[in-house]
Amino acid sequence: MDAPLIEARGLFKSFGATPVLRGVELEVAPGRGLIIIGRNGAGKSTLLRLLAGLGAPTAGDARLFGVSSRKLEPSARRRLGMLTHQSYLYPNLTARENLEFFRALYRVAAAPTEIPRWLERVGLARFADERVRAFSRGMEQRLALVRALIHRPDALLMDEPFAALDPDGAELAATLIREALERGCAVALTAHRELDFAADRCVSRELVRGRLLDSGAAPARTDAEPRLAHAADAR
Amino acid sequence: MAGFVAVLRKDLTLELRGGESTLALVALSILILIVMVFALNPVGGAADAPIAAGALWVAMIFAGMAGAARVVLAERDNGCLRALYLSPLDRGALFLAKLAAASIFMVVAEAAVVVMLVLFFNLDFDGRLARMLPALALGLVGFAALATLLAAISGRVHAGDLLMPLLAVPLYVPALIAGVKASAAALAGAPWSALADWLRIMAAFDVLFIAAGFILFEHLLGED
Repeated sequence: MDAPLIEARGLFKSFGATPVLRGVELEVAPGRGLIIIGRNGAGKSTLLRLLAGLGAPTAGDARLFGVSSRKLEPSARRRLGMLTHQSYLYPNLTARENLEFFRALYRVAAAPTEIPRWLERVGLARFADERVRAFSRGMEQRLALVRALIHRPDALLMDEPFAALDPDGAELAATLIREALERGCAVALTAHRELDFAADRCVSRELVRGRLLDSGAAPARTDAEPRLAHAADAR
Repeated sequence: MAGFVAVLRKDLTLELRGGESTLALVALSILILIVMVFALNPVGGAADAPIAAGALWVAMIFAGMAGAARVVLAERDNGCLRALYLSPLDRGALFLAKLAAASIFMVVAEAAVVVMLVLFFNLDFDGRLARMLPALALGLVGFAALATLLAAISGRVHAGDLLMPLLAVPLYVPALIAGVKASAAALAGAPWSALADWLRIMAAFDVLFIAAGFILFEHLLGED
């Protein structure tokens, strides 16, 4: 088995006297996905933040590409894609300008047609020169998906990637994540309930009161389309 | 270098579009200057050089605290600061890009303030103003570096907005004294040699604040 790209070893996190994560152990290999299921306040977002190196664990270690997440070199950070509840987009820049900025930041040597192609793909081509502040939450989430993927990361951390998306948008997000998995990207994403997509590559584990329960196989797909029931709930 | 250019270009684009930092800087600087003029009632000319220099620096510092720090604080909208933190951009380069943006905004504001200063204090547009420019440039860059650094710190602590004025002024006092003395000497028509020591002190502070920001920015952007 390939070495895991995303790992947590005995990860504890407390805010004051309140424990949020209690000894989380996980690992995600290239081309595999981990769906972390949990209720509101279960610690899902905190876990992803620690995995990304955005916060310091109280104890234990979060690792990306075999290195502690807090000590990633720029070359390793270039291999990470992150999607959170915040879009990380500049409201006063247009969709195209935002993507141009992140492309420059990640030194993506993409063809000039790359950004229009991405915008077309997520259904935002007509809004390429609109400022993000005028976007609906769902449109912003579609653009944030492109921002997280434009540099073809090797590891993806996604906090409820289907939130705020309509059924078409949720299907699109599922397709993009599936494509990332197929090219060898390791994906850890959070959700409120079971997701039925990329079942052959993903494992679901439930986060309950800060403990990540043992893995079980994701439910088999029952029809041709992925079921993303929670997307409708999130809207 | 590419990351530095990308961040600076993005900040300038946003500023040209919204103008929030520069407008705040200009408006606050001029308001402070007007208050100083009414309070001190200058008679005009070289005799008021120390008062004019003091007013100019008070305006620059208090306006700078509000305006220059925005280049960092504005990144907190939509979590963009986290995006920069996670990106492969070198954090030292990020500090320098933010410093460059803050300095450019302050230059624009200070240009407006110097014009108002000449009018309010009945000064002449002559070589004495030009002689004041090195002190202003050094002071502006040093203060922008300090404000950028403190803005990053203020985002990490509870009630960080209050921390900014509490820390900025005491830390900047040595450079402030040197700046006021150098500016007053320049406005009074003193020779360059009379300004040199003050300029050296300011240059030393610039090096200190820029080096501190370059080294510490990485640690200040992370979260607990």
